[in-house]
Amino acid sequence: MRTGALACIFAGLALAAGARAVDLDDLRKALEKPKQQPAPGEPAPGQPAKSKPDLSDLLGAVRGVSPEEEAAIGRQIAGNLLGAAPLVADAKLQAYVNRVGRWVALRSGRPDLKWTFGVIESADINAFAAPGGYVFVTRGLYARLQDEAQLAGVLAHEIGHVQQKHHLKLLQQQQLIGAGSSILSKKLKDKQSVQRLIGSGAEICARGLDKSAEFEADRIGVVLATRAGYDPYGLPAVLQDIGALSKDAGSVALLFKTHPHPDERLAQLSEAMGERFDGIQGARNLPERLHPVK
Amino acid sequence: MSKAKPAGLLAAGVALVLGAALALGAATAQETGTALKPDDVKAEPFKDAKTVGRIAKGDRVEILARQSGWLQVKAGAKRGWVRMLSVRRGQAAGTNVGQEVGGIAGIATGRAGTGQVVSSTGVRGLSEEELKAAKFDEAELRRAEAFAVAAAAAQAFAAQGKLAVREIAFLADPKAANPQAGARR
Repeated sequence: MRTGALACIFAGLALAAGARAVDLDDLRKALEKPKQQPAPGEPAPGQPAKSKPDLSDLLGAVRGVSPEEEAAIGRQIAGNLLGAAPLVADAKLQAYVNRVGRWVALRSGRPDLKWTFGVIESADINAFAAPGGYVFVTRGLYARLQDEAQLAGVLAHEIGHVQQKHHLKLLQQQQLIGAGSSILSKKLKDKQSVQRLIGSGAEICARGLDKSAEFEADRIGVVLATRAGYDPYGLPAVLQDIGALSKDAGSVALLFKTHPHPDERLAQLSEAMGERFDGIQGARNLPERLHPVK
Repeated sequence: MSKAKPAGLLAAGVALVLGAALALGAATAQETGTALKPDDVKAEPFKDAKTVGRIAKGDRVEILARQSGWLQVKAGAKRGWVRMLSVRRGQAAGTNVGQEVGGIAGIATGRAGTGQVVSSTGVRGLSEEELKAAKFDEAELRRAEAFAVAAAAAQAFAAQGKLAVREIAFLADPKAANPQAGARR
């Protein structure tokens, strides 16, 4: 049912944008081109160098999207999201989440992006990421957090999406941005063009990514928060808190629609984490430093 | 645990019964949970601590506290620490009030999961509809971008909190047949 709805949205967008369908032949041709300089990111977790491209490479590699294009796409999505829900009017709060977020992002595979974090004015419980390093948490989610380690865990999950370029991969799978297509690259020069190409950027936030991308971002989130010196269990604690909410509560409707249920995410995390985080000494929670939100 | 939950906010917009039911799970003084799998109950929150008991899958526990990956629980007469990820907070799935709450919520909102509960209170929400209708806000985006901090500022902030960097590798996908945990589909 969900897939059907998604297909509709994107079919509509593709028509409006006049985007040409990129079939597998085009993707293969794009792959045969000399590789662009890889983005300054680590390879995916546990991913060795590939000898031979397979179908998942063709669809998921995000080749041909330059840092400038990524930034333009990210701005479009972030600007739309802020059009739906502006920043909470508290400069100290915003400065605080940027310090926590930037510190965690420095531990990611993309430490040098222009990372921008924010708390947005919405009672919904949710968080969003956009390409290029934009990460937003709703006031509704922030108000549930009990310490800085939990905030770090939530931000780290979103940083994981940016590190792995999940949204770019999704757009590319939907053939809205090109696999090395110069025609599409030219189109990305100005904002109107980006908008024509990807539609109202916030729409991608309403649709969500696939489950495997969410599980991957959870695994990355736990690791990044731990690397940054925080309690590894900040993100799991937030998931457990949210998991106890009724799935039909309005405040989590979009979150639960676009993500696997927290119980499923916790089960996956439990399996991935095992006992690897047991021996960690001196991890911090910093409840006293969590900036209060009204 | 003592923080205000958004249940109160929701209650303003919907039938009282829903608000009351939500508060049951979210804001009662004594929080409960259900064991997702059998696990040892430890005297202290670490794995080498003395085992003082055992919980079986489906056991109801009272949650007293959390410390990193451990929950202090009371299960019957036993009291001790169990792995946080062995316990589901809130009611047990299948046998619980939670599912009925879901049913009531579904009726109250006209349809489950439309996000209309929040928007009907007049509080700004981020429903699918609102996101689709969103207009690009350049000024707000610039305001957000102006809050970005340099790496050096983040490092100083981390030092103030005594946050020490530790080396730890990314986790493999436990579901992957091979270690290629990256792009799939």
